[in-house]
Amino acid sequence: MSTHPEFALHDLLRNSVERDPAAVAIVDGSAEYTYEDLERESNSLGAALVTAGVEKGDRVGVYLEKSWEAIVSMLAASRIGAAYVNVNPLFKPPQVAYLAQDCDLRVVIGDSSRLEALEAGTVPGTAFYKGDPPREEIAKELVDLAEVLGGGAVPSAERQVSEADLGTILYTSGSTGMPKGVATSQRNIVVGAQIVSTYLENTSEDRILSALPLNFDAGMSQFTTSLRVGATLVLQRSRLPGDLTRALRRHEITGVTGVPPLWALLLRSARAIEEQPLEHLRYIANTGGRIPFANLAELKRLLTGLSGTRIYLMYGLTEAFRSTYLPPDEIDRASPESGWCIGKAIPDTEILVIDKEGKECAPGDVGELVHRGPTVAMCYWGKEEATQKAYRPNPLAPPELLDTERVVYSGDLARRDEEGYLYFIGRDDAMIKSQGYRLSPEEVENLLIGSGLVHEACAFGVEDPEVGQLVMAVVSLKDGAAEGAVDKIREHVIKNGPPYMVPKEIFVQDELPKSGTGKIDRKSISNAYANG
Amino acid sequence: MAISTENAAAEIQGWLRENVTGGREVPPEEPLIENGVLTSLQTVELVTFLEERFDIVVEDEEFDEENFGSVEAIAGLVASKTA
Repeated sequence: MSTHPEFALHDLLRNSVERDPAAVAIVDGSAEYTYEDLERESNSLGAALVTAGVEKGDRVGVYLEKSWEAIVSMLAASRIGAAYVNVNPLFKPPQVAYLAQDCDLRVVIGDSSRLEALEAGTVPGTAFYKGDPPREEIAKELVDLAEVLGGGAVPSAERQVSEADLGTILYTSGSTGMPKGVATSQRNIVVGAQIVSTYLENTSEDRILSALPLNFDAGMSQFTTSLRVGATLVLQRSRLPGDLTRALRRHEITGVTGVPPLWALLLRSARAIEEQPLEHLRYIANTGGRIPFANLAELKRLLTGLSGTRIYLMYGLTEAFRSTYLPPDEIDRASPESGWCIGKAIPDTEILVIDKEGKECAPGDVGELVHRGPTVAMCYWGKEEATQKAYRPNPLAPPELLDTERVVYSGDLARRDEEGYLYFIGRDDAMIKSQGYRLSPEEVENLLIGSGLVHEACAFGVEDPEVGQLVMAVVSLKDGAAEGAVDKIREHVIKNGPPYMVPKEIFVQDELPKSGTGKIDRKSISNAYANG
Repeated sequence: MAISTENAAAEIQGWLRENVTGGREVPPEEPLIENGVLTSLQTVELVTFLEERFDIVVEDEEFDEENFGSVEAIAGLVASKTA
């Protein structure tokens, strides 16, 4: 049982250490680390962060491949009252430079190979590196992470941390052409862990496979829930089918959360699972988009049918961490006939379906999904206009309560049936859903234009059963752009953007169609593509 | 038809240049999965390419980091399958 109240991320650790200090907290490759190790090393790194000048509220960048050190970094930042910012390891130097400047990262903890690629001066303070020393110019000061860990230091003074403090910033694709950060409080993080671990029924007996990136809310949530209940989190970097099934068996995994493409990879091992069912796997939980119904049927047959594995369908948006889930016993509500059921609100949360007038929709009517509850994040970091648009006063609150509570307008369309179950319909805007990422077309267009060869660009998503949507682009070339321009553009995009942002195809047109206001008409371009 | 490790490696490097690294040449021993050079979906695309190009079948159990961790390893797998 939890003995200390849970206010901040490191309180979750405190309880788990007291419960069983020798329990294995993290498995990273062939190494195992206990809760006691986690306590000790997050203190060592916390002390080093204080020495490096990290003040209360400062942002600490974590630019590491998913690893033991990445886990320690989050807890180290939390316990000294700083906010961690998990940088997608797939980000390329331009995104990292933008992000470092956007949230004013004080220090960065990173893999040497990643730090090495950064532009000089990207890190204003100290860079803690894992591996060989990187070039000196990338930071003001370089510290070897290996020398900090195992040093046994303890932060000199305990800092008071409140649940109202900024806990982390989760970066998501932004319509200004660069990522935007969702400022998430300690309370958001802790309540999120309480809620998710409750409905997934996690216990200290669980062995959870972490197959999602830690910069993604659901990936981080697997860590926080595991931490809260004192379970074992197995860090899995390779998602290749052979490795995936081997890890599930070798570590006797009881639970895994994934996005639809992960299940497609798992299903490649269907024959192996048939021959030897995954008997330890208690549940799988999906988020980040619809699983193609054919794949869902296969998962039911191979997992629920052969090993009693329960399947949770979840829905969440970074702006409010997690929103809904469909309990495993109700799984058949998601079907080609009835649609993609996302269940009901997670505990302590209310999900509203709101029409254009701000009123609640009648059952069956489609409206915008609005999230109300304790996981509603603080704001978009430094972006007032975007914040006002997504974080609004509760439309159903009595006027006497004035503006005491903000809810999140998701931009997702949904409907509710007579029994209160929610169904996901689609996006209200041009956002592309690909590989579990919610991608702003502007960010892809910005990358294309950055090649210097493109006059105008339009990016859009095309439905695809494997990845949700494929990213496509139509561009017009600048005068004088020569033969082979498309290859050069592609090369530029690959070099400067994460892989999930690279368009599957880049088509060239003389001119891009415009709407009445002179803006590029994305809808007609994507419709024209869909109709061949 | 037997394919040498060298020929397979050259083909794989060409595919990576074009589809993954934006023109950068990937050294044969560079870790691809561990360092995040290759995402899982890109690896699936690479497997499709290899299966078509060399007329081979990659089994699920073989589809792992050990065989796909570097250009060298992938080339070795291709060579062993065409021998």
